[in-house]
Amino acid sequence: MNLKLITMLGVKVDEEIYELIVPTSTGEIAVFPGHEALVTLAVPGAIAVRYHKGDPDSKLEFFAISGGIVEISQKAIRVLVDEADHGDDIIEAESRAALDRAIELREKAQDQIELEKAHQLVDRHSVRLKVAELRRHHRR
Amino acid sequence: MASTQILKSRIRSVKSTRQITRAMQLVAASKMRRSQEAAKASAPYSLAARQLLNALAGHTSVSDHPLFVKRRVKTRLLIVIASDKGLAGAYNYNIIKAYTEQLQADDKAGIKNTTIAIGRKAAQFVSRIKDTQVMGVYQDLPDRPDGRELRAILDSVRVKFTSGEVDAVDVIYTEFISIVKQTQRIVRVLPAGVDNEVESEPSTSTDAVYEPSATEVLDGVAYRLVGAQIFQALLDGRASEHSMRMLAMKNATDNASDLIEDLTLAMNKARQGAITQELAEISAGVEALNE
Repeated sequence: MNLKLITMLGVKVDEEIYELIVPTSTGEIAVFPGHEALVTLAVPGAIAVRYHKGDPDSKLEFFAISGGIVEISQKAIRVLVDEADHGDDIIEAESRAALDRAIELREKAQDQIELEKAHQLVDRHSVRLKVAELRRHHRR
Repeated sequence: MASTQILKSRIRSVKSTRQITRAMQLVAASKMRRSQEAAKASAPYSLAARQLLNALAGHTSVSDHPLFVKRRVKTRLLIVIASDKGLAGAYNYNIIKAYTEQLQADDKAGIKNTTIAIGRKAAQFVSRIKDTQVMGVYQDLPDRPDGRELRAILDSVRVKFTSGEVDAVDVIYTEFISIVKQTQRIVRVLPAGVDNEVESEPSTSTDAVYEPSATEVLDGVAYRLVGAQIFQALLDGRASEHSMRMLAMKNATDNASDLIEDLTLAMNKARQGAITQELAEISAGVEALNE
């Protein structure tokens, strides 16, 4: 089945895949070919892509995504998210530092707007860090 | 004939103007390339968004959703996207013309309207006119607007629409077609799913299951997709602004070069004239002495 990972900054993935694991508002779901038609909400987290049947977990590719929409039909999946970063593009140490900074910002936040911004940053960087860790874990 | 002194100083001033316009042209060109890429890159997102919207709007369980409700239009919200800075050719003029046309049409049809102005030039214009009520003004958006600015606009739009204060939301912006072609467009973003230009893919989400529930999914879908449309309009506006500024500045640079040529010619003529006159006077003096 075809997976299209579409972000506001362009199409990140447009390929034939075997399995997709995606975090949704009702929990993580795994999608295989022939899945029933489904439209659901993706929540910020890590999605995993297995390209071929029988690929080991070490060949999974991870993406950090922000919230969005997952549209599944018999033959194709469309994932529309505001942001998606490939696991390979995320440097673990950098995300960890960014997360620490974001947490610090959250603690120092003076007003509601700053707090809101800091919350978003914390969410974003914790997702990225999670993806980086997942990737390291599976590649080992 | 103007003196060479005056001509010289005019040439100098035109030259420095040319230097400025040329610099602005180069800056606009590089900004344009970037925003052009951004506008193109997000096009698939917007397209998929609109296809989804259309497919969902045809779905029976969708038409009851607050963002899809079609009411008789009594009050309309216009979002006008212009630039913060001038010197971009007819960019702001064209947008404001399209906007005034809408205001006049509303006037005739007896529709009240409110406005959200994006960009300083739009804000300045709406603050001067009495025909509309200004709901919000957004200035100095970054070149790559991100979710936060968008969300502020989007949230107020959603509240106004679902509360019934406005019955339709239109965006007026400049669509970027190519470097030399940009057109003003008016797109209805709410009620959602009334854009007939995009053919919906036949297989999309008919009889799909909605999780956790149809209303919740639709809420997220509609909200996000309406946002994508506004986002695309912002990016298109940006790309158009930069390309129009680049062209305007190129014309200004060319004009300055022409002017410098003409002035140099005039100056040379004036100088030669002075020399000829001096020679004539000298030879006349010599003639007079010889007699």
